[in-house]
Amino acid sequence: MALKSRYVFGEAWSIARSGARETLLAIGLIALSLYVPALFALVSKNLGRLSAGGESPAAVITLDPGADRWGLARKAAVDPRVREVRIVSSEAALARFRLAYPDLGAALTNLNETPFPPTIEIRLRRSAARGAGPAIASAAREWPGVESAEAEEDFGSRFADAIRIVRGAGLLLGGVLALAAILSVASAIRLALDLHRDEIEIMRLMGATEMAVRAPFWLHAAAEGLAGGALALALLYGTYRLGLTLLARSPHPVLAVFWVSFLGWREVVLLPLLGCAAGFLGSVISLTRNR
Amino acid sequence: MIQLFRVSKEYGRYRHALMDVTCTIERGEFVFLTGPSGAGKSTFLKLLFRDEPPTSGQILVNGRNIGVLPASQVPYFRRTVGVVFQDFKLIRRKTVFENIAFVQNVLGLPRSEQKRRAYQVLKRVGLHHQMNAFPNELSGGEQQRVAIARAIVNEPTLLLADEPTGNLDPVLSEEIMRLFAEINIRGTTVLVATHDFELIRRMGKRVLSLERGRIRETPLRLDAGPAAVREAPFLPLG
Repeated sequence: MALKSRYVFGEAWSIARSGARETLLAIGLIALSLYVPALFALVSKNLGRLSAGGESPAAVITLDPGADRWGLARKAAVDPRVREVRIVSSEAALARFRLAYPDLGAALTNLNETPFPPTIEIRLRRSAARGAGPAIASAAREWPGVESAEAEEDFGSRFADAIRIVRGAGLLLGGVLALAAILSVASAIRLALDLHRDEIEIMRLMGATEMAVRAPFWLHAAAEGLAGGALALALLYGTYRLGLTLLARSPHPVLAVFWVSFLGWREVVLLPLLGCAAGFLGSVISLTRNR
Repeated sequence: MIQLFRVSKEYGRYRHALMDVTCTIERGEFVFLTGPSGAGKSTFLKLLFRDEPPTSGQILVNGRNIGVLPASQVPYFRRTVGVVFQDFKLIRRKTVFENIAFVQNVLGLPRSEQKRRAYQVLKRVGLHHQMNAFPNELSGGEQQRVAIARAIVNEPTLLLADEPTGNLDPVLSEEIMRLFAEINIRGTTVLVATHDFELIRRMGKRVLSLERGRIRETPLRLDAGPAAVREAPFLPLG
């Protein structure tokens, strides 16, 4: 016979109310368990954003404001080692910055002049010899209208490699932390359910079906997990906002790069759902052992 | 009503709680089950409400062999049997009403009907004014009366009680026994496990004695006098 939802919700609420302190403790433990891997995911996401910018240019030529961009670009494109030449106007550079750093980009809204000079980005063919980037940059410095030219070939590839390694390690550690969080949530739920072991036995003796015994506890644990996940999310957002405020007061060259955007909506939804699933799993394990 | 045929219950290889027990309890009877501690009284009752299955033998309750009852059917069977325990087994987070109406709540009966039934049985045990109290607000005797009310709310044909007066003083014990007698008069078969021989003597009902897992039915009811009461557990089958 199907259980009445009024019974299941009523019992779940009664369980939560009867051990309010234990319920709050479990929610707090779940929140802490999920907060740590979520924080890791936030940093990892920002690192990923840095490495996801596509292939970095081998050389960047910074132009004077009045320089002939197209003429200089065509001049650069004549070189047989060059695969692509891209003109990046001041407006395009600003738009790119805002896209990459949505929160910091807002700070530049009120400027009268764009802070980025126009540039030409040069990407090389695969067949180009090592050192081609610095050679092209060196030649470009002599051209009229060029303010400066820098080869980023080696730095770019080394930076991309470093980001890949850090992100890979981060994902691995994050995965371990997430697994530990799920187990912690399950343990917190098991501890909470142990307090109700006697009454579970009584319910069975009085003729309650297994579904009638378990369903309210499943619901209670899933709700605890959901609340814990939501609290973890709130804590994470609070940390993020606090970080932004502190960085705005005293900018840091490295942290400012790693602390730019918050989690996407998918991750935001996932966190409470993960808590909910872990709570449910913990109660299933606990009640199966209790049989 | 209840028939046990060569029923044995073993815990592990060497602990024999019940051995080759055969007996019958008729519909509407009031029977005491007695014996020293560890004789197998609680095991006997546990088998009757299918808290545990027998190791061997057949147990028929209302014509059903409950020894082979599938696990999924056990809750439905238990709803037809009322059980009272020495430690009351009330759910502390629930009120008196909620404890009594628990199974009806699971079944989805309207709340008004749950209240009506709970009020009726609480009136029978004299606690209708305590519907909204929590178990820890009641005395031991009151808690046991609530447990009895819970046991009879579904109008079971069989009521089992395991040392129901074990935690109560003689006056309260007498009161609880009077309640059982009243329930029995209304047609419910009652089986009470106790080692309180004085109580058994005063009630003057049929007695089954257990000793080391074997059943010995007393040849006479234990209403003859105190001497017979003391000897009762050790009488051989007549």
